[in-house]
Order: sequence, then structure tokens, then C-alpha cells
Amino acid sequence: MSSSGGGSSSKPRSASFQPSETSSKRKRGVFQKELQHMMYGFGDDPNPLPESVALMEDIVVEYVTELVHKAQDIGSQRGKLSVEDFLYLIRKDLPKLNRCTELLSMNEELKQARKVFESDEDKLRKVFEVDEPVE
Amino acid sequence: MKQSKDPFEAAFEEQEDSPPESPADASADARQNPNSSIAAHSSQSQPQDQLQLPHDDNAKKGPSQFTPGSGSGSANASASGSFTATAGGGGAGTGMKSKEEEEEEEEENMDVELGKFPSSGDPDKMAKMQAILSQFTEEQMSRYESFRRAGFQKSNMKRLLASITGTQKISVPMTIVVSGIAKMFVGEVVETARIVMQERKESGPIRPCHLREAYRRLKLEGKIFKRPMSRLFR
Repeated sequence: MSSSGGGSSSKPRSASFQPSETSSKRKRGVFQKELQHMMYGFGDDPNPLPESVALMEDIVVEYVTELVHKAQDIGSQRGKLSVEDFLYLIRKDLPKLNRCTELLSMNEELKQARKVFESDEDKLRKVFEVDEPVE
Repeated sequence: MKQSKDPFEAAFEEQEDSPPESPADASADARQNPNSSIAAHSSQSQPQDQLQLPHDDNAKKGPSQFTPGSGSGSANASASGSFTATAGGGGAGTGMKSKEEEEEEEEENMDVELGKFPSSGDPDKMAKMQAILSQFTEEQMSRYESFRRAGFQKSNMKRLLASITGTQKISVPMTIVVSGIAKMFVGEVVETARIVMQERKESGPIRPCHLREAYRRLKLEGKIFKRPMSRLFR
């Protein structure tokens, strides 16, 4: 069960938090910079303690790992993960669910907007190419 | 932190290689139709550079900012904490933030733009948000800015997800969703840690012991996924 994720997320799922010993295969401080700003935004000090950030990173990685494993359990019938699995998992947590649906719909809109933009850009480029060669 | 990294930029930036440039029409549309203001959002990356500087100064100045901040820090933290709690607590509340950002960047006027945030087309919420944001102090505004902009890097999250699932193909929407969930989870832990600190009457930066206590409480509430202890058909 854990063989697929065993390589890099080999943390024991215990109640104690051991920052560096257990994540030997995973780079430390992957999310450090973003986490600092995030923690400040959510109420921490402008300069969070490095050990707090490291611990938070471990917590987040463990949370994401659990989330993905549960999603795999659910979605295993389809053979691969899909977004709906995640949405199903957080269905009870309304703020997260609404946030995710919002993000997804924004993603769609952005893709549409980009498509329109790119077709416009092509037209513009052709117009300019008449005047002077433009890369 | 990379420049111009607000949460939606972080989610979308790596997708769009073409520089976002439909400012005029899109912003005009966004005025009338909030739903299409996504395109206006895409014009954010350049103006954001101006916004970035004061934010970085705030974030990087160490002790000089710490002392005045710590006095109002706890009060502010609870204010911003409760603010984010209410903002994140309602579904419509989370919808509010996206439109704020788009309008914010459209304005191209640093101080004013941060004060004019409409929300998801609901004039009532728009008015509320504007009223709240216009009264923010410097520190609150910088904290709010961090809150909006901070986000997990898509590439890092992608790598992490791939390593967990065992090199399955990770789609972009999945990265976006997981990043969003993870960010909100961070918010929950940090806010709970602040509550713990209030109860213990401590102040200053959050320490690992607070985080652990917060994590324990969230676990009791059942917000942390964990494998059920007794798995019958394991």
C-alpha cells in the first residue's frame, strides 16, 4: 500500500513530530519561502520562527500525503486520480469546497480568455508582419 | 518569494506563458460583468511589481518592524484571524476575494487600488469589503496582502504529488485544487495556534509547541484525515 509513496514520504504516521530525521529522501525547505508569507498572512509574525516553518511544512506534507492516499483509495476504481476525488473528500468542509470550486471555475475562465487572446494575437502578428519582420 | 505571486497568479501563472495582456477590453468588461473579470485578473503581473516592494520591505525587515508590530500584533492577529475566518468561513466569502484582486490590479494605483475591492458581483458584499479594507492599518494591509498572494508553487506541489502517487500524471487542475486545500489547511492550523497562544496568554511568534497543540485540536475535531484505526478489510 505504501510502497508507491514509500520512497519520498517515508514519515512514520505517529503523533510525534520529528522534523528532519524521517524525511531523508525529501528535500527540506521545499515550501519554506511561500510558507513564511502564508503564515504571516494567516496571523503569525512577519518573521515566523524557522522551526515553526519547518514543522508547518511537515504538517502540510503529511496532510497532502494523507489526502492523496485517501483519494487514491476512493478513486482506485477508475485507476487514476481525478479532481472529483479530492472534491469528494472535502465535501464536508464547506469553505474548502467552495474555494476549490471557485478556483476551478476561474481556471476554466482563464483558459477561455487565453484562447481568445491567442487567436487575437495571431491576427495582430500577421498585421505586423506585413510591415516588418517580427519574431 | 518570486515577484508577483498572489494566490491566483501562483495557481495560474505557470499555465500561461503568454504575457497576459488583454487589459483594456477585459477591464472594461470586468466592470460590468464580474464573471468575466478573470481576464482582467490576468493583467496583474506587471502592476504587481509596484505592490511587491512595500510588501517585501515589510516582510524582510526584521527587528525594526517586530517591536511595533508585536504590540498590536496579538490584537491584529486576532482581527486578521477572525477576518480571515469569516472570509473563509462563508462560501460567498471566498468568492469575494477573487474579484477583489482583479479589480485591485486593474486600478493601477497602488494605495487606492488596495482599497477598492468589489466582491463577487454582490453589491452588498462589495460595499462591506470596501468599507473594511479602507480602514485597514498599514500592518493589516500588508498582512492581508500576504494572505492573498501567498501560495504554494505549482511546480513544487506537482513534484510532491507525483512522488506521493508514484509518478502518475498530475493534471494542472489537481495541482490547483490541492494547493488551495493545503493553503486553507495552513490557515486553520495557524489560526488555531493563535487561539492556543491566547489561551496560554503568550505572545510573539508562533512556536512549534503551539502548532502541535493546534494540530492535536484539529485532529480531535476530525479535520485531519487519518486512516481509521481499525480497518476491518485491510
